[in-house]
Amino acid sequence: MSKEEKKLNPEDNWRNFIYNPLTSEVLGRTAESWGLIFLFYVVFYGFLAALFTFMMWVMLQTLSDETPKYQDLIASPEYEDSMQEKNIECESGIFFEQKSRSKLACKFSLKILQVCSGLNDSSYGFDEGSPCVILKMNRIIGLKPEGNPSIQCHVKEERVNLVTFPDAGKIDLMYFPYYGKKAHKNYLQPLVALKVNFQPGSEEASIECKVEGSPNLKNQDERDKFLGRIAFKVTLAH
Amino acid sequence: MVGGFSSLLWAGAILCFIAYVIEFTKDNSASMDNLFLGIVLVLVVILTGMFAYYQEAKSTNIIGSISKMIPRKALVIRDGEKKEIPAEELVVGDIVEIKGGDQIPADIRILDSQGCKVDNSSLTGESEPQLRSCHFTHENPLETKNIGFYSTTCLEGTATGMVINTGDRTIIGRIASLASSVGQEKTPIAIEIEHFVHIVAGVAVSIGIVFFIIAICMKYRVLDAVIFLIGIILANVPEGLVAAVTVSLSLTAKRMAKKNCLVKNLEAVETLGSTSIICSDKTGTLTQNRMTVAHLWFDNQIYRADTSEDQKAQSFDQSSATWASLLNIVTLCNRAEFGAGQENVSIMKKIVMGDASETALLKFSEVIMGDVIERRKRNKKVAEIPFNSLNKFQLSIHETDDKRFLLVMKGAPEAILEKCSTIMFNGQEQPLDESAREAFQTAYMLLGGLGERVLGFCHLYLPEDEFPDTYSFDTETMNFPTSDLCFVGLISLIDPPRSNVPDAIIKCRSAGIKVIMVTGDHPITAKAIARSVGIISANSETVEDIAKRLKIPVEQVNKREAKAAVVSGMELKEMSPEQLDELLKNHSEIVFARTSPQQKLIIVEGCQRQDAVVAVTGDGVNDSPALKKANIGIAMGFAGSDAAKIAADMVLLDDNFASIVTGIEEGRLIFDNLKKIIAFTLTKNIAELCPFLIFIIAGVPLPIGTIVILFIDLGTDIIPSIALAYEKAESDIMNRKPRHKKKDRLVNHQLALYSYLHIGILQSVGGFFAYFTAYAVQGFRPDLLLYLRPLWVDDTINDLEDSYGQEWTKYQRNHLEWTGYTAYFVAVMVQQIADVIIRKTRINSIFQQGLFRNKYIWVGIASQIIIAVILSSGFGSVPILSFTTLRVQYWFVAVPYAIVIWLYDEFRKLLIRRYPGSWWDKNMYY
Repeated sequence: MSKEEKKLNPEDNWRNFIYNPLTSEVLGRTAESWGLIFLFYVVFYGFLAALFTFMMWVMLQTLSDETPKYQDLIASPEYEDSMQEKNIECESGIFFEQKSRSKLACKFSLKILQVCSGLNDSSYGFDEGSPCVILKMNRIIGLKPEGNPSIQCHVKEERVNLVTFPDAGKIDLMYFPYYGKKAHKNYLQPLVALKVNFQPGSEEASIECKVEGSPNLKNQDERDKFLGRIAFKVTLAH
Repeated sequence: MVGGFSSLLWAGAILCFIAYVIEFTKDNSASMDNLFLGIVLVLVVILTGMFAYYQEAKSTNIIGSISKMIPRKALVIRDGEKKEIPAEELVVGDIVEIKGGDQIPADIRILDSQGCKVDNSSLTGESEPQLRSCHFTHENPLETKNIGFYSTTCLEGTATGMVINTGDRTIIGRIASLASSVGQEKTPIAIEIEHFVHIVAGVAVSIGIVFFIIAICMKYRVLDAVIFLIGIILANVPEGLVAAVTVSLSLTAKRMAKKNCLVKNLEAVETLGSTSIICSDKTGTLTQNRMTVAHLWFDNQIYRADTSEDQKAQSFDQSSATWASLLNIVTLCNRAEFGAGQENVSIMKKIVMGDASETALLKFSEVIMGDVIERRKRNKKVAEIPFNSLNKFQLSIHETDDKRFLLVMKGAPEAILEKCSTIMFNGQEQPLDESAREAFQTAYMLLGGLGERVLGFCHLYLPEDEFPDTYSFDTETMNFPTSDLCFVGLISLIDPPRSNVPDAIIKCRSAGIKVIMVTGDHPITAKAIARSVGIISANSETVEDIAKRLKIPVEQVNKREAKAAVVSGMELKEMSPEQLDELLKNHSEIVFARTSPQQKLIIVEGCQRQDAVVAVTGDGVNDSPALKKANIGIAMGFAGSDAAKIAADMVLLDDNFASIVTGIEEGRLIFDNLKKIIAFTLTKNIAELCPFLIFIIAGVPLPIGTIVILFIDLGTDIIPSIALAYEKAESDIMNRKPRHKKKDRLVNHQLALYSYLHIGILQSVGGFFAYFTAYAVQGFRPDLLLYLRPLWVDDTINDLEDSYGQEWTKYQRNHLEWTGYTAYFVAVMVQQIADVIIRKTRINSIFQQGLFRNKYIWVGIASQIIIAVILSSGFGSVPILSFTTLRVQYWFVAVPYAIVIWLYDEFRKLLIRRYPGSWWDKNMYY
């Protein structure tokens, strides 16, 4: 710093830093330098954006439109080639597997939920104090449950009884496997309804439901409290 | 542990605890994540603090303190009785008794002494035992023989003395309090690191606050905004940097110790590198600290002797008969002897009993002739008069082979010449006429002018008839002739410069470092040594030289013409600070002669007023204030007193000036390498920060967790950053000027911008690519992720639909989120490998530097990979660490970006090399 500059008071220094009339510098740089900097960053970040976009495009090209590349985080489906029954008629109790590009969906008739179908009682039993709870299994592409899966519910309190629809909470195999949002447009996953009937004097029900009867559907994961099971509480308010 | 980054981390930890407490009071089952993170942060602060302290303590070689030197008890005579009392109870006027082995309990005036010898080395650095008596011999209390100093040791004999000063008023106490009262400036590296911390903390705090406000505006909960703030702080603070810098400095300190520079304070490592002025002692530092024969004059001719450290043989013409006579005198007229049991020691290293000049002559003759002792035995000494300051000569008489006695004499040349009537020329005695006298005078003046101590030699063969072999010589009555002798020659002695010093001085000069010599010696000697080592270069002149050349009075010489200056202590005393500034500014080659150690402090302060970083050497207690005041005080390992070593920042184990220069080289190298380390460390901060910013603004699931950030900063990045400390210099670092304290910053805006906005952004892009890939292959395509956050983090949604119609429970989403963290982490790690490789050089191509010259870099890269493999192969799958097992292909997702980083940096360096001084160079070279 030259001696003359030293004499300037700090305010002048600031003013000079913001705009120095002698060198026509703004914030310590000339307009040309600022221009170059701006140009540089435009080019550099433009290049980066292009690179990123290109790589994303390549990556997305490797993905299938219908099924994700990996599904290890949501289930561990076992693919057995022997299970090859095919029934486009949606035959109950059998997997409905399809090879054509656009898949047909099986019709899920609400009637099988009977009093919980909402067809006759739009309040789903809530008005009467015996509410219906609808249960479902999360959709997972390609999952084929083994055995005869059903949703079983238990209640702690003795004076509450549970009724499931369809009978025994059965989940029909014809709704499996699922082929994904794109191919399987009109797919509807099977539902199970649970009706909670409170006997006089009881006001609370702690309910746990699990998917049972299928060896490849886990319901005991230590960390994931919602994998193949759910626990909830129903309280009666007057 | 406080200040700098630690305070930011403390703030982060406190925010964590607050967030946890708020969550906990709302809901007892709140997750422990924030509590855990807070505890981890506190641990990080404490551990890095302890680590830095441990490194500092390990390499700080605490040599002991002044308190160790303080005597405990004193034997005092009070009320006519001898009593032993604690030394601190002594008062002025007490009579104390001391004996061999005692430490002197106060400054005392000796009243009575029986062969009392003291060791004053702690005070003066002089290791010879000093006799103490009751005689007053000098006005200077440090010189007079009747004062015993507090804390010095009585080696032998006994003495009685009166206490004249106690405690802080003693000589050593005054020096100690002066030393402690001299303020020490912050080390340059401390200033640089502070500056760097300001930059980073400024970035962290401002981004943190801006995004806190943005988060609030975007209707995030305050608690969430606080948690984002923690993440931003954490991402910005380079947690591992303190450890890396400390380790790098201590590695350099270790390397310096191998080169004989023992650094007491780690920061001094770099201070040495930024040194711009060295004030060096002469004796022992620039010179070998031993008298050596430098020149000989006989047969009217001056011969030059070899003065290097390991002289094997002398190469001058030894055929003359005069030389034979001179050598004979040198051999015989000498009381020095080799110590016993040194048969296998080389001549120059043998220990000799005798004074410095005689030792020099003994070794000189032993080198030339061998077996001096045998020759002395053959020519038995029959009489001797030792040297004394009154008659200024030394004389001895010896038997010879031809039955004549030989009288040999040496001493001050003018005293010897007076006693001569003839002079030997080519082995022939000739009358000492006017022309011979003139020749003598010329030679004497010439050698004296070289700053050398000149001795004259003469002899006389005593006639056999007058002095038969039974003659009994009596040195009291002098019953033998001591005049009309035959003058043989002159030998001049000097404490020669160390042989590697001239090169070191040249190095200093090309490195832009000014070397100032400060000595207690006579100006002529000082100037001669300064010239011979190059402190005053061959073609530069002092004001006096110019005056002499132009034959005009000194006052008329234009002072600016003289590059060199020799200033005596007396002149310095008269100078005002302004005059001293003028002197230091106008002359590039300065020698201070006849200076007292106290004046060193004045010189150091003068240099510091010029904005210089000053290194000062010293050995005595008196030097302590100057050593303390200097930016870097250098104490001598051999000759140095304990007090000097305590006051100094560095101890020179071999007392050699050249070692300082190698130290400077190391110091400069570490500055460059610290730049590389910091650039490397800062880069990934952006890659850690961007996830939070995108997370807040675009509402995507969090790409990287706070714990993962800590694993990068304190895990994968530590060893590679330390490895950069081993990087070799890119060019000759001793060819550039010392770094300007205020202009050449450790972290300049180029470094920050290049690391943050170029490579850092590149790394973030690579990281995000890995992140999006990890989500896309599992079913969440990038377009779905935008603003998914509210649903994503909702604990009650256990059937969140992905791009393919699948439904995810909360836990499954968490698991995917951790996979995203791990993918991002691996991507950053892979790109940091490219980063460590590009940081090896700042201007040269990697191939110019050599990929394999620094093997530690590869150790570092291996450590990065191994740590990442361990974390992402199951060991990190503990829920709280939030790593998952990663597929192998994720490791290659960021490789293209790593290659781009490397290519881009090579391109940058190429343009800098091609177009020095261009816009690119100015903006891209850090």
